[in-house]
Amino acid sequence: MDSVASPPVISVRNLRIGYGARVLLDDASFDVHRGEIVVILGGSGSGKSSLMKNIIGLQEPLAGDILIDGKNLVTAGPDEKAQLQRKLGVMYQSGALFGSLNVLENVRFPLDRFTDLALEQKDLIARMLLKTLEMAQAALLMPGELSGGMLKRAAIARAMALGCDILLLDEPSAGLDPITAANLDRTILSLRRNLGCTFLVVTHELQSIFAIADRAIMLDPHSRSIIADDAPASLRDHSNDARVHQFFNRQADAEPLNMEQR
Amino acid sequence: MVLEGRITAHTAAPVWQSALDTLARYPDRPVVVDASRVEYVDNAGLALLFDLTRRERAPGAAVELRALAPNLAALVRRYDPRDFAALGTRRHVGTLEHLGRATLHQLAYLKELSAFLGACGRALIHAHRRGVWKWGDVLDVATEAGANAVPIVLLMGFLMGVIIAFEVGLVARQFGAVIFVVNGVGVAMLRELGALMTAIVLAGRTGAAFAARIGTQKVNEELNAISTFGLDPIEFLVVPRLLALTLVVPLLTVLADVIGLAGGALVMTTFDVSFLQFHARLLDAVTAADVILGIVKAAVFGLTIGAVGCHQGLRTGAGAASVGLSATSAVVRSIVLIVVIDGLFAVVTS
Repeated sequence: MDSVASPPVISVRNLRIGYGARVLLDDASFDVHRGEIVVILGGSGSGKSSLMKNIIGLQEPLAGDILIDGKNLVTAGPDEKAQLQRKLGVMYQSGALFGSLNVLENVRFPLDRFTDLALEQKDLIARMLLKTLEMAQAALLMPGELSGGMLKRAAIARAMALGCDILLLDEPSAGLDPITAANLDRTILSLRRNLGCTFLVVTHELQSIFAIADRAIMLDPHSRSIIADDAPASLRDHSNDARVHQFFNRQADAEPLNMEQR
Repeated sequence: MVLEGRITAHTAAPVWQSALDTLARYPDRPVVVDASRVEYVDNAGLALLFDLTRRERAPGAAVELRALAPNLAALVRRYDPRDFAALGTRRHVGTLEHLGRATLHQLAYLKELSAFLGACGRALIHAHRRGVWKWGDVLDVATEAGANAVPIVLLMGFLMGVIIAFEVGLVARQFGAVIFVVNGVGVAMLRELGALMTAIVLAGRTGAAFAARIGTQKVNEELNAISTFGLDPIEFLVVPRLLALTLVVPLLTVLADVIGLAGGALVMTTFDVSFLQFHARLLDAVTAADVILGIVKAAVFGLTIGAVGCHQGLRTGAGAASVGLSATSAVVRSIVLIVVIDGLFAVVTS
């Protein structure tokens, strides 16, 4: 992929994250290039969500650097940090739409706050985004009236409102039926193809990972490190690491003794 | 017209406006938009390109996007102008209609609450007959709602007694009628304020907690789990709370009455009315009926707070936000109902 030659849009350097003395992930380094779809995966407690929060700037890392478009988020002052954060579109696991605004107003919210566009123009941008995400019919619905899949698509539309240079999606397929999840995968691929969006996705769904990811970065809670960073198919077929092999081939742990005796 | 560079949400506003101005200046002439120097567009840039081509123009005055990158041209073509007609808006509701709807809404709520109380009564009788009643549950709620509320009720009761005695005492002194302040403090605390203030404190403290707790259980589908076990959520969750509050509010009211009178007596010493005089006058001024009326009212208030709190909890919709709404509604509705019921008592017992 030629995009790999371009400078990375997200660059994580020797990152150590955790809470006080409790380190979740140490010496983590990886790059995400423009137009790439990179998946972060790992078991419970491996620090996936914390890594996401650090990249978004909601948590301070214990050490290391996070560069967004070449600028260091960790050392940035409050204004520069807010500017860098605005480059990141984030879809939270629960959607996190504002409950008091309808879908259209939710998508228009970042445009209202950060652009000088006229209301008619902001409405058109928001409605085209909703159309792209097959949500045009739900524009006037309140978040409480949406199904799980619609909620996530509306959240992606809001995350994209100021552009889709970098979109971070937290468990986009969680709680969705296979058809809705597959539709969402298709939407992600189409956004990348048509608008050149870059995605960093936290997910466990193997089918989704194989469908969308250029690269999968696997975190391990025991070694507190990145244990794999490669194309998913390559990790499935060629990885020598037992944990990676187990994950990508969806194998259970060895049976406990008392189970074997039955 | 020439478009160039990066057109993003942050840079589109002036470009968009100037493009629309150009179109408006030449309403009858074809317009060519040269997009050969466009480097990058995001959603906003795409919307701008689409907006220029979707507008209705005079015949022969079409807008042509020239030299636009093929992938962008394909994207613009994917949108159909007919999909972006004006959205419908919600119908405007006039003041009179709003008032009528609100009244009907409140009447329907009262009917619903009465039916709920009926269901609670049936659940209580049912549980009593089957002998599955657990007083331990009632005691747990009573401890949380009652015993833990003693300090705040004492503080409120004391301050109420002090404030009434002081305010009325200042006026009564001008007429040489200071001794009658004891009548005022006694009747006000025992018949009205003891029960009313206790109920308002508990509506805010316990009614909201009931609504939030049961509402969260509903959102988490715990209520469905209880039903699936063949248990009645009303019998299991609501009845113990109703009983506990019906018992606890009168007890707290007695405490508020006593401490309120003590506060009043303390203030009256500054008006040269001794504790003994206060005591003697109080016995003349109030009767057992005043005390009993206050306690009966307190029991009804307790039942109301519990019923409204639990009912709001069970009415909770989906999502965390509706739990907050339920808790708020429980407090507001309890306090309104308490004041209305207090008014009804005043009319009936006058």
